[in-house]
Amino acid sequence: MERLKSVLSNVLNIKADTITDETSPDNVDLWDSLVGLMLVTELEGQFNIKFSMDEVVAIKNVGDIKEILMKHGITLNK
Amino acid sequence: MRKIKELISTKESKSIADYFRLSRLIEQESKEWKLSCDKTIKISIQSSFTINGIKEVLLVKCCELDIFPEFYIGDYNQYFQEILNADSALYKFAPDIIIVFIDTMTVWGEQYFLPYNMSDKERKVWVCEKVNETQSLIQKIKYHSSTKVLLHNFEVPLHSPLGILENKQEFGFIEATEELNSSLRRVFKSDNQIFVFDYNSFCSSIGKKDIIDYKMYYLGDMKLDLRHIPELVDEYLSYIKPILYLTKKCIVLDLDNTLWGGVIGEDGLEGIKLGPTSEGRPFQECQRYLLSLFNRGVILAVNSKNNFDDVLKVFNEHPYMILKEKHFSSMQINWDDKISNMKAIAEDINIGLESLVFIDDDKLNREMVKDALPEVFVVDLPEDPSLYLRTIMGINDFNMLQITEEDKKKGEMYAAQKSRQEIRKKMTDITEYLRKLETVVQIEKANQFTIPRIAQLTQKTNQFNVTTKRYLEEDIKQYANSNKFLVVSVKVDDKFGDNGITGVVIVIKENVTWRIDTFLLSCRVLGRKVEETMLAYVIEHAKKENVKTIIGEFIQTKKNQPAKEFYKNNGFDFIKQETKKEIWEFDLRKDYPYLDFILVIRKD
Repeated sequence: MERLKSVLSNVLNIKADTITDETSPDNVDLWDSLVGLMLVTELEGQFNIKFSMDEVVAIKNVGDIKEILMKHGITLNK
Repeated sequence: MRKIKELISTKESKSIADYFRLSRLIEQESKEWKLSCDKTIKISIQSSFTINGIKEVLLVKCCELDIFPEFYIGDYNQYFQEILNADSALYKFAPDIIIVFIDTMTVWGEQYFLPYNMSDKERKVWVCEKVNETQSLIQKIKYHSSTKVLLHNFEVPLHSPLGILENKQEFGFIEATEELNSSLRRVFKSDNQIFVFDYNSFCSSIGKKDIIDYKMYYLGDMKLDLRHIPELVDEYLSYIKPILYLTKKCIVLDLDNTLWGGVIGEDGLEGIKLGPTSEGRPFQECQRYLLSLFNRGVILAVNSKNNFDDVLKVFNEHPYMILKEKHFSSMQINWDDKISNMKAIAEDINIGLESLVFIDDDKLNREMVKDALPEVFVVDLPEDPSLYLRTIMGINDFNMLQITEEDKKKGEMYAAQKSRQEIRKKMTDITEYLRKLETVVQIEKANQFTIPRIAQLTQKTNQFNVTTKRYLEEDIKQYANSNKFLVVSVKVDDKFGDNGITGVVIVIKENVTWRIDTFLLSCRVLGRKVEETMLAYVIEHAKKENVKTIIGEFIQTKKNQPAKEFYKNNGFDFIKQETKKEIWEFDLRKDYPYLDFILVIRKD
């Protein structure tokens, strides 16, 4: 979870401790479509996985990202 | 701003998100930064697709180099209109460089997937049309502005619908793309304003299968994976740096475990690794590559903690030593610290520390130099010698936008300088020394062969330069063609070698008064009375044309101290101090003869 939060805070320019599953483009100023794609590139590099296009399209908030990561076998400790 | 720079340098490998974050920080302080930055560049990017990230990465990398960049990013696929329209925002922005990035898919359009809907003949016509189109577009740019243009060539595709039969076609899809690239290279080869950037090679160096992240391409029209943007920007910088004359001139080398394997003081002449063995070849091939850099004009120097005699033995007696003593312009081989040796090298060769590149296998030495002399570019040499060659080949700081004859000979010329200094050390009487040099000064009116070098000297000469006026080739051309100006180049030769064109004089002729607009001499020939010879030439010509006075101006800069006393010491009278400018006058009733120990050749 720490790793995910650090990527999110780095890319989205928000404080790590404010991040919840509901954090989404609706409540983060910087999170537009380009930054969203950059976020995916960054996560792929950090966790050494590849997202499919469907997965990227389905991301609506941080909760969705966590789900995808877990599906790829990444364990996120609380 | 200093904090941001520290932030940039502490994080060694940056991801694209890091660049975005840093660029946001820089932008917040850009106003303040602009004021303190003396190098600025205006960059326009025109592309056939939405290109994200280049601006952000460029901003951060320019910041590292103390360059303040301004950007104008054209809307995608608007480049045609922007370039054709004289009143476009592009020309209003007045860029120093326009990067034109049109991708292969766009240039082929529908035919990218269906290339064999065209016949061989149609493809040939298509290539001609594309080349003509590009040429006329470039003509427009040249007509409306004097900006440099960096024109991408096209990625040669990996796929062909014909598979293995592709190469059996009379003029196939792949061949047509290749032909387009080679035509562009041919067409702009001798154009000093247009540079074709080999994007196809860039793609190969990344790996063409890895150039596109397809989901990003379908989701965000990204025709280059974001992860590769920093590498692309490095390529752009290899053009931007020489535009701003940020070119490195000299490689300073350590010896033990850098130029050869092992330690000469311990392993001895037979023990060091150098030569046609597995362990000796990395060093041998590095030396070969360094020699090729020397041959293109890069100066070499040594900075090593060693006994001088041990080292000399390697240079003179080792059968596989490729670099010889004669290739080095300065050799600091002693037990002093590396930092004072670096300074000694800069002083010896008479170039700034910012022109030096330092190569040393010892991380501690590197960190020390980085820390004490931040202007020096310190190469992060990997520990494994088998990776040395690749690292050194990757240095892109020696680029020049054009190589003049003088540049090619620079390494050689600076090495000759070392021999000159050696007699100088032995001799105390300066005139005696100058006599021994047998200097020949050739003064020639500007012509098409010398104009690029004249412009280059006005751009680069800082020390002996009375007015420090910077001119472009076009300016010099104009002056040279006018009878209101006298524009000459000065070539200096002596018994140790040819220094090439190192001096420039530009005089504005106003009836009975001549005004010296530019009077400069490269620092490597200073102190040899060449400047007096140049003045004698001007005075001789002025007398012939019945001129009464010559006016000399001195405009002080941070660096032109060496020229400060020139008018005073050479018979000029001080007239007045204007803002930032001293006015001096030479009364032509006075004599000012040539010196007897310098042979003068005049070519009109």
